[in-house]
Amino acid sequence: MKLEFSGKHALILGGSCELGITLAGLMIKAGLFPVLTFRNEAGRKKIVTAMEPVDGSYSTAFFDLADPDSVDSLFQSGDSVEYLVDFAQGDLERLVASHGSTDKGKYFEENVANRTKVIAHVARIMLGNQFGRLVFVSSTAAVRPNHGQGFYAAAKLASEAIYKNLGLELGGRGVTTVILRPGYIDTGRAKKFIQSKEKEICERVPIKRLLVSGEVAETILFFLSKSAEGFNATEITLDGGLTAGK
Amino acid sequence: MVDTFTNIQEILSEILDIEPDEVSEDTYVIRDLGAESIDLLELAVALNTAFKSGLKSEIIDDEIFLRFLREYMTEADQAGKEHAGYLKEKYPFFSETRIDEMLSDLSSGPVLKVSDLIDYIHSRSIAV
Repeated sequence: MKLEFSGKHALILGGSCELGITLAGLMIKAGLFPVLTFRNEAGRKKIVTAMEPVDGSYSTAFFDLADPDSVDSLFQSGDSVEYLVDFAQGDLERLVASHGSTDKGKYFEENVANRTKVIAHVARIMLGNQFGRLVFVSSTAAVRPNHGQGFYAAAKLASEAIYKNLGLELGGRGVTTVILRPGYIDTGRAKKFIQSKEKEICERVPIKRLLVSGEVAETILFFLSKSAEGFNATEITLDGGLTAGK
Repeated sequence: MVDTFTNIQEILSEILDIEPDEVSEDTYVIRDLGAESIDLLELAVALNTAFKSGLKSEIIDDEIFLRFLREYMTEADQAGKEHAGYLKEKYPFFSETRIDEMLSDLSSGPVLKVSDLIDYIHSRSIAV
């Protein structure tokens, strides 16, 4: 199936992750122009190195959920964005009953409140164009967290709700949203953990394997395409059946 | 060059799917035209684009749509200040006469008029 797109400009938040870079490559092949955000110099270099063969077909921009003002620098007056893919997520692995309220509050401020600021900013641009498609990359951990993932899950669920309502409110104006909950992927911050327990994890997944970044990126690209415009304000689980049963 | 009223008239008729002649300077945006919150959001974005204000549409939202009007009146009460004077501080782009009108008209519903949008645009020196 050849995917068709209604827009061209895509913003990938958290663009230095492997999934973001893989997705950007697919976007370029599909004729889109991705802007990948990074939050530090290491992230920028990672993008530039990986994207070297397609130099000129994308751009980068600084953005950090911990720095709410950075959203303002993402957009110059008149900039257009028709697609947003949001991989950005801070990490806080902590037992719920652990001490330390400051970092927990800060975590929610960054990963929920500041994200909301970005979403509102982007949504207004999209509203002006009467078109926009946003994909929030959540996680099956949002609904099936492991020990220590309570804050991560809570932030993901809160962000899912924001995205969902955005699609509900602006769907009639051409701005729609999809929330994707991937399961175990052999990439990202859980890579070491997953690789160390790959056999046990695969036993739990009905399709008996991990997801690979390419198939997740292809799924996201599909959700941005015209073919998927009927999906709005909803969560899609991509986990090989992991969370379907006990 | 299209004047500010005509520009706003066109924007409102497009957003609300009404005929332009249904919109005059004296028309109430919410009370007469039935604009809902989603329409006001779209209106803020459209005004920002049409008048190239350089203002964030969030600011237009907060300032022009009188979102905090009743909160400001409560603040004035708590500070022992007159409503009219306090609202003039908060909404410097409206004349004292217009603020008096708004206060006397509040019981009939939302007071925002098309002429208020024009005054705001002019006051902010962002008219075309």
